[in-house]
Amino acid sequence: MYPFEGLFSLLVLSLVLETQALTPTHHLTTTDVARLQAVLSQPFTDLKSAYYSVVGLSKLGIFVADETCRFINSNLDPSSVESLFYAAEASQALSGCEIPVSNDTRDLLLATVSEDSTASQIHQSVSALSALGLPLASQEVVSALKARISKEDNVLAIILALQTASRLSQQAELGEILEEIEDLAARLDDLGGVYLQFEEGLEATALFVSAAYSLSDHVDMEPPLKEDQVIQLVNSIFSKKSWDSLSEAFSVASAAASLSNNRFHVPVIVSAQGPAAVSHSHPFLQLQVTDVLCQPLSSASVLVESASAVASKSAILNQAPFTLRDGVFELNFMASQPASGYYQFSVAITGDSRFVANHVELKVKVSTRVAINNMDLSVVDKDQSIGPKTTRVEYPTKAKASFMADSHQNFAMTFQLVDETTGVELTPHQTFVRLHNQKTGQEVVFVAEPDSKNLYKFELDTAERKTEFDSISGTYALYLMVGDATLENPILWNVADVVLKFLDEEAPGTIQAKTLYVPKPEIQHLFREPEKKPPTVVSNAFTALVLSPFLLLLILWFKLGANISNFTLSPSTILFHIGHAAMLGLMYVYWTHLNMFQTLKYLAIIGSLTFLAGNRMLAQKALIHLPLDTVVMFKHFLTINTCH
Amino acid sequence: MSNSVISVISRFLEEYASSTPNKLKVIDAYLLYIMMTGALQFLYCLLVGTFPFNSFLSGFISCVGSFILAVCLRIQINPQNKGEFLSISPERAFADFLFAHTVLHLVVINFIG
Repeated sequence: MYPFEGLFSLLVLSLVLETQALTPTHHLTTTDVARLQAVLSQPFTDLKSAYYSVVGLSKLGIFVADETCRFINSNLDPSSVESLFYAAEASQALSGCEIPVSNDTRDLLLATVSEDSTASQIHQSVSALSALGLPLASQEVVSALKARISKEDNVLAIILALQTASRLSQQAELGEILEEIEDLAARLDDLGGVYLQFEEGLEATALFVSAAYSLSDHVDMEPPLKEDQVIQLVNSIFSKKSWDSLSEAFSVASAAASLSNNRFHVPVIVSAQGPAAVSHSHPFLQLQVTDVLCQPLSSASVLVESASAVASKSAILNQAPFTLRDGVFELNFMASQPASGYYQFSVAITGDSRFVANHVELKVKVSTRVAINNMDLSVVDKDQSIGPKTTRVEYPTKAKASFMADSHQNFAMTFQLVDETTGVELTPHQTFVRLHNQKTGQEVVFVAEPDSKNLYKFELDTAERKTEFDSISGTYALYLMVGDATLENPILWNVADVVLKFLDEEAPGTIQAKTLYVPKPEIQHLFREPEKKPPTVVSNAFTALVLSPFLLLLILWFKLGANISNFTLSPSTILFHIGHAAMLGLMYVYWTHLNMFQTLKYLAIIGSLTFLAGNRMLAQKALIHLPLDTVVMFKHFLTINTCH
Repeated sequence: MSNSVISVISRFLEEYASSTPNKLKVIDAYLLYIMMTGALQFLYCLLVGTFPFNSFLSGFISCVGSFILAVCLRIQINPQNKGEFLSISPERAFADFLFAHTVLHLVVINFIG
């Protein structure tokens, strides 16, 4: 819903925020506040935009020139409550701007305060009346508002009711309206535990915040919002850094003004100035502690409750105060002589009971410079018959002579990495030894490992490692690479030249560059072979053979004297035989054309006809087998029944 | 030994020819036809292989099924078995035979592919 300004989150830096106590993830930086001012300072075209600009800028503490007064007076329409509202509010923000008020105007405004006007109209008339200094009956307003709240149950109407109530006299019964703050807060949507906003949008959320705090300040009762909810509201309202409309910018400015200056909750924004990193050249950790409008908090005192190393969890600092200098809080962390690495700081901001989110967790990096000591290079014979010749090389010079190693010898290197200032041994993340063959362009990289005493060792066994080198003999330049996040001076040092000799017959004739991105051989797809079928002659012969027993059947039946002499030509018989033939024909058609469903459909039709006809036919046939008197009785029985 | 076998067979054939009603002989001829058709299909499958297997199965099962249904009809029609099939008249047996054949042929044609 709100676009995430990744650019400004980078500016906000690498603050690791604890989930135990919520701290703001989004806030306005000075650039954002300047942009907000610019949006509100755009030249206005009508009274409404003049209202937003003038009143919005006054909330940010900027006051506009007096020419605006003339503009307001000339654009005022005394017969419109809305116009009067804009003019009255804007003139109140300007110094010495008077709006002429007639009796009709006052009557119009007073008449608008009733149950029949909308909450927005009531808000506008009450605000205009109070801005113009005209008397109004607070109790009437309260009852009108209560009636409107129950009729228009939407969020914006209730917010306007809250704003209106903050203009009324403190003696009026504002208790019920005050309870609406809690009801509205319950309607906020919690997104991921980070944002709290109305589904109506940013403007509604921001207007809610400013209305709730202005009413709470007016009746001097703490609003029923928990600290976490306040921070979530801050995240929602200030996550959007460019505003679509003047009214949206106005609502954000109102919310920012009420959050930075109310009697109950003041959210604190803590951000490190520059990266949260210290080193010997920059020993001070600098923090900016401001309110939501990026104004420094004058009454704050910042304290480090505890600082411990992330790796070893040992505490370095306890209850150390920051000193305020030029609006920035700073602490000389290097004075505690921390070893290089990351430290988890827990910072508390005290000084005012209204501060919200005043416990912040920070991750601070301590960087240092590394120095290489005791770099010793030697060529050792494998059978240890000849003692090693050790050459010491000083950084950043290169060894004068090159080292020769063939398959009977090992090349060895030892060194120490220490902190330049303290002399403490370091184990950076990256300590690589790179051998580069200038002629062929080959490059082989090894890792140098520290032993238990933090002394780095590197050994090259020529015979063992010949596959990495492709057995290519030649001069290799040896580089040492040292790097780490906490090192200020990463090192790339050409230490020496090493001449490696491999057995010549294993070397490839030509050096081939690694071919990773050439086209691969094409894959031929093998389609499924059709099954082997017998020759057509054989299958035709067998088809004839299989059909031949039918002839045999006919011959046998003829010999036995099977006949159709009892074939009666009654309609049911004919229908039966036709139906039966049709079913057999349907079977053939099923084989060639149809699917099961169609076949079943046709079979049902033909089958039922055949069944009925066949039933009749067979029943007639059955009667023939019965003795004659039974047939007569049966027919008599039938006729008796059908007479009735 | 073979003598007695031959004499048994010839006696059987005589008895069959004389005492079996004509209707049953007609059905027996039909049974012989079905059996020969099935046997020839099986022989073809043995010679040439089982491709396409579904067609072979469908044809063979058709023969087997028809044989069984014809045997049932023969049993039910035989006047010597009248005592066991009091409620089923020969016409009813024939109707059952036709209905069962319809179902059998439906399945066979579906499977023959």
